[in-house]
Amino acid sequence: MIELRNLTKQYDRTVAVDNVSLTIETGEFFGLLGSNGAGKTTTIGMLSTLLLPTAGEIYIDGQLLTRNRTDIKRKISVITQEYSMRQDMNMDEIMEYQGRLYYMPLRAIREKTDYLLDFCGLTKDRKKTVRKLSGGMKRKLMVCRALLTDPQILLLDEPTVGMDAFARRQMWDLLRRLNQQKLTILLTTHYIEEAQMLCQRVAMMEKGKILQVDTPAGFIRQLGDYAVDEILPTLTHTSFFATKAEAIAYAEQVSCNFQLRETVLEDVFIARSLRARQE
Amino acid sequence: MGIITILWEKWVEFRRDFYKITLAAMIAPMMYLLVFGLGVQNMSHGKPYLLYLIPGVVSLTTMNGSFNAIAQNLNVQRLYEKAFDQVMISPTPLWQFVVGQILAGALRGLYAGGIILLLVWPIHTGLIFNALSFLVLFLNGCVFSVLGVVVSFLAKNHADVPRFSTYFIMPMAYLCNTFFSTENMPRAMRSVLAVLPLSETSSIVRSISYGEPYDPAGILVLLAYLVVLTAVGLWFVYRKQNL
Repeated sequence: MIELRNLTKQYDRTVAVDNVSLTIETGEFFGLLGSNGAGKTTTIGMLSTLLLPTAGEIYIDGQLLTRNRTDIKRKISVITQEYSMRQDMNMDEIMEYQGRLYYMPLRAIREKTDYLLDFCGLTKDRKKTVRKLSGGMKRKLMVCRALLTDPQILLLDEPTVGMDAFARRQMWDLLRRLNQQKLTILLTTHYIEEAQMLCQRVAMMEKGKILQVDTPAGFIRQLGDYAVDEILPTLTHTSFFATKAEAIAYAEQVSCNFQLRETVLEDVFIARSLRARQE
Repeated sequence: MGIITILWEKWVEFRRDFYKITLAAMIAPMMYLLVFGLGVQNMSHGKPYLLYLIPGVVSLTTMNGSFNAIAQNLNVQRLYEKAFDQVMISPTPLWQFVVGQILAGALRGLYAGGIILLLVWPIHTGLIFNALSFLVLFLNGCVFSVLGVVVSFLAKNHADVPRFSTYFIMPMAYLCNTFFSTENMPRAMRSVLAVLPLSETSSIVRSISYGEPYDPAGILVLLAYLVVLTAVGLWFVYRKQNL
């Protein structure tokens, strides 16, 4: 279980994370959504101990997380937003370095590396240095590296950035499978449909604060399960309705082109972002 | 053991860049020896200047070798590659990471210094380099490796490490008992230079190479630098707010 208690991070005069309290249950797939600068990456930074909180604490399975708690860090793997890898190492070396940092036996490192690189379709390029890999291949390698150490908690900061649609779907399937094996996953993403597909609960974050935590379906219900997009020459105006009948009744009165559809989490995200900006 | 992991990482780097590292370690010291030792030719303290120069150049080579092996590399890993993030996140104790960097840097410095000794071997200088000389050179490498760790954590951008080298490492290379004795310098300057780690190293290594008694206080000075800078390095990895 991950517990954030009154977590705050301040850079000079900017409060990046503001008194955030949150509990993520063991085996939960949890999403942290927010616009740029909302504080998602800073939160992941504190969970991975790269950043120290200005105030508040993080507890993992009831134990306080600090930089010298190697027993707790053993449980965590992180896929950072940036390609955090030695550019001059090849894939095998990247994996071996990771395995050694986590005290894995060499034989286990090699066996698991073979399996993971094969699973992600990277085997034939394993002797290429990171510098020579495409963005998507680097992402996949970061996933392989994170999974090498059999973590109990996986922190994913924009894990599918730079991946093509097919690779992204593969990644989703993999993450779902891992979550079924009771891996706790915390995901930050800009792809809202990714959070809707994968996460059991989602927190909306804005200006360093958690605005609300709910299931994707719960968020959608609050806004209305059905949406009507009125497609005007320069903008699209969307209205939300609790029932399909209400949406149809409204759509019949619309004079421009329109689209009637089910509401998605992205609608909730956009509506909340607009409201936050207006406030 | 995390220290072995860091040594392994440095070994991978060394194996891959063997020729580049070896050439880089040779060129500047060989220029010094050729230009000042063989080209200019002179006498110092009643001995050929080359004999004065070799211990100093070997000392400064270990300093440069160690500092450069750690400072620039760690700076790139931290600010550009972000590879240092993985170390921070991992369960490897951070003190082991720092100690691994120190040992790896010192070994690289010793390698660079050893190359120079091998290159001047055919000259038959009669200079003595024994186990104690290598121990002092290793200690010197440790001091400059941990200085590299500290500088890389202080750096805010990629230019900061070369800038530090220009302001501190290069003046030390010239002034700290390497190319000439500091005994004729103004008293205040001499006092400052005398307590710098490279001055102590050059002085001890030169005394040993001449078969003369050396001042053991110099080793204590090097150890003091090592302890203080290691403490600073550990403070950074455990206490710095944003790494």
